[in-house]
Amino acid sequence: MDWTPYGPHAALVRFADEVGDEAFAKAVAIRSALERNPPEGLLEFVPACTTVLLEFSGREVPSLDAAMPDILEQLQMAATLALPPEPVKEIPVTYDGPDLERVARAHELTTAEVCQLHAEPIYRVYLLGFAPGFPYLGDLDARLHTPRLATPRARVPAGSVAIGGQHTGIYTVDTPGGWNIIGHTPAKIFDPTRRSADGGDEAMFLLKQGDRVKFVRSNGA
Amino acid sequence: MSAHLLEVLDPGLGATFQDRGRAGWRRFGVPPSGAMDDHAAGWANALLDNSPTAPVVELLLQGAKFLALHDCWIAVCGADAEASVPTWRAVWLRADDEVRFLRNRSGVWTYLAVEGGFDAPLQLGSASVYARGRLGTPLVRGDVLLRTPGAPFRLPAGVAGRSVVWEERRNYDATPILRVWPGPQWNSFSEKDRTAFLEQTWTVTPQSDRVGYRLSGQPLAPGQWQMVSEPLRVGTVQFPEDGQPIVMMRDGPTVGGYPKLGVVDAHDVARLAQCRPGRAVKFRLAAETAV
Repeated sequence: MDWTPYGPHAALVRFADEVGDEAFAKAVAIRSALERNPPEGLLEFVPACTTVLLEFSGREVPSLDAAMPDILEQLQMAATLALPPEPVKEIPVTYDGPDLERVARAHELTTAEVCQLHAEPIYRVYLLGFAPGFPYLGDLDARLHTPRLATPRARVPAGSVAIGGQHTGIYTVDTPGGWNIIGHTPAKIFDPTRRSADGGDEAMFLLKQGDRVKFVRSNGA
Repeated sequence: MSAHLLEVLDPGLGATFQDRGRAGWRRFGVPPSGAMDDHAAGWANALLDNSPTAPVVELLLQGAKFLALHDCWIAVCGADAEASVPTWRAVWLRADDEVRFLRNRSGVWTYLAVEGGFDAPLQLGSASVYARGRLGTPLVRGDVLLRTPGAPFRLPAGVAGRSVVWEERRNYDATPILRVWPGPQWNSFSEKDRTAFLEQTWTVTPQSDRVGYRLSGQPLAPGQWQMVSEPLRVGTVQFPEDGQPIVMMRDGPTVGGYPKLGVVDAHDVARLAQCRPGRAVKFRLAAETAV
């Protein structure tokens, strides 16, 4: 584990060299540790697959060089903790996307095979990014890895289930986007009006980093 | 005193509530948002003794028009959009007065503050509108803007007016020299490219908005390396394959897969924000760093 400065009062911690099971377990453990026990002066953290950005208050943490060794040591310890696996969240899906046939042709598969390969695995949420609550899911069967569209669509509807490179994901808002749309879900992955019983804002987001996801095919597709 | 202060007669090219942004939600994929020029927005609030966190209305370029429904103090700072009221000062508005922003002459973003601050709905702790992410909605014709209940603004006794000192009013037509800090891939760029980045003049392109400002110039060679997506910051300078920089702004994505040469100093992001397409910008290193 090491870190590089990322502007004043910010550090990019690298905890893995490549995406994989080991990196994923570390990412989840580090996120959990930063939520439960944030280092002094931490304003915000942004986890990705192999790195996590830490932004500090310059007043409380005047020197990153002084503060980071201890923080790295704590994250290192946290990263070795084995966390119980998150429960599997089921997401209904209908495979009726405009790019389904093209994806099938590109891989010399039938559309039925594409659906089968896509619905089979239990995916993990590697990270949320691109749009509020947008999950990058893996591991996608290598036979389905498909490059993004050369020209992104001006509008992809919320709920679109799509493949971008080696990830699959779910559009959470209507937005321009370049992933290959293979289906859709009625599940509201991001709902700005949803609150938990205690009024908590996190309920807006159906999925969080580390969750496990299984696509369940709806009738008719 | 009525809380109904202003009616939107025309939102112009774009009018949204903004404040200092929403902190702590980037790990859920939610960008910080907030005023693109926090310097000008901050002065609009400061002129009226508002909290620095009070929401203001951010206007894009020109065309906005408001009707005062009640006597009130307002302040307009930022881009010169030929406002019908004096700018960079506290202004006493009478009921039925109109405030118009006719023509953009300089800069991009103009800020309108009202005494006490606008009463705007909060989402994830902030009034900043991030329409693409369904957090808040832009203002439309007919919207009635409210003020936060509280003590009305008064000029201190014996003072005829209040305005921002000249040194704090920026010239948005000058070429800004933006301080940049080395980013995570600084050392992955060749010394020649780092020097080229710092020595040349870049031009702001029309593909610039609240998400990011694209610049054009002599392209660098960021290489074809395949990168795992890493977190982005406001001000991160990314280089896609075409070698032309994109500076991430306040509605930008939270992660990205392009090499990150550096990050524009937080104080200078506001200077870049006010650069219209075609304007030249330069970079210099913020700290003593070996090129």
